[in-house]
Amino acid sequence: MNFSIDTYNLDSGVPVIKLGGEVDVYTAPQLKQKMLGLLEAGAGQMVVDLAQVEYFDSTALGVLIGGLKRIRERDGNLALICPSPRIRRVFEITGLDKVFDIYSSADEAKTGMEASP
Amino acid sequence: MEANGEPAVVELRIPCRPEFVGVARLAILGVASRMKFSYDQVEDVRLAVGEACTTSVEWAERNKRETADILVRSSITDTKLTVDIIDSAGEREEKPAEQEKEPDEESLGALLITLLVDEVKVAPHDGGTHVTMVKYAGQ
Repeated sequence: MNFSIDTYNLDSGVPVIKLGGEVDVYTAPQLKQKMLGLLEAGAGQMVVDLAQVEYFDSTALGVLIGGLKRIRERDGNLALICPSPRIRRVFEITGLDKVFDIYSSADEAKTGMEASP
Repeated sequence: MEANGEPAVVELRIPCRPEFVGVARLAILGVASRMKFSYDQVEDVRLAVGEACTTSVEWAERNKRETADILVRSSITDTKLTVDIIDSAGEREEKPAEQEKEPDEESLGALLITLLVDEVKVAPHDGGTHVTMVKYAGQ
């Protein structure tokens, strides 16, 4: 399966989950586990980096929505890095581009999240 | 594309399990790429078929149909792609109204399909569900 998942931190210490390849019904559970792990470890902010993602479906969207709800319960935020117009289109079609803060790069995400914690 | 005026037909049968949905997407990518679709339209078809197969997989899990499968049949002409997705995942029971308050994965999937293709039809089928999607090329 063409899928990868990794984590890194922004300079500000905000954890970033970096996804690659295809995020679908088979691979999205790994994203969910990673997000839950970060939440359990006390993360108040989180970023999901979709720059290397080439397929993103409703299962993956559902995982992101679940993560967003949980993190907003603790007054935090979950932002997305999504430079790819094709992947961003999935968010636009479903109206979820109005629900998530979507940035085109890690730098933009860092600036954006610092401005509105 | 047609032979003697008949659509060309490509069929794939996969186990109704998460790890095989990607196989169906790859096959439909191959089929749609042979038609006069734009890049975006090919991606639309791939996503729509992925969503439909995912819904079948989810129902098979709910109904505990471990040996369910999905038949993905593509009929292609120069201008029209018809994809039939026929599963043996068991019945799709309607959710009680009170569970439908928030958008969830299933409704997102259904929303995506209706927005990505030109026509959709969903009907119960012996032991499962038959979804038919149509996308017209050159539009």
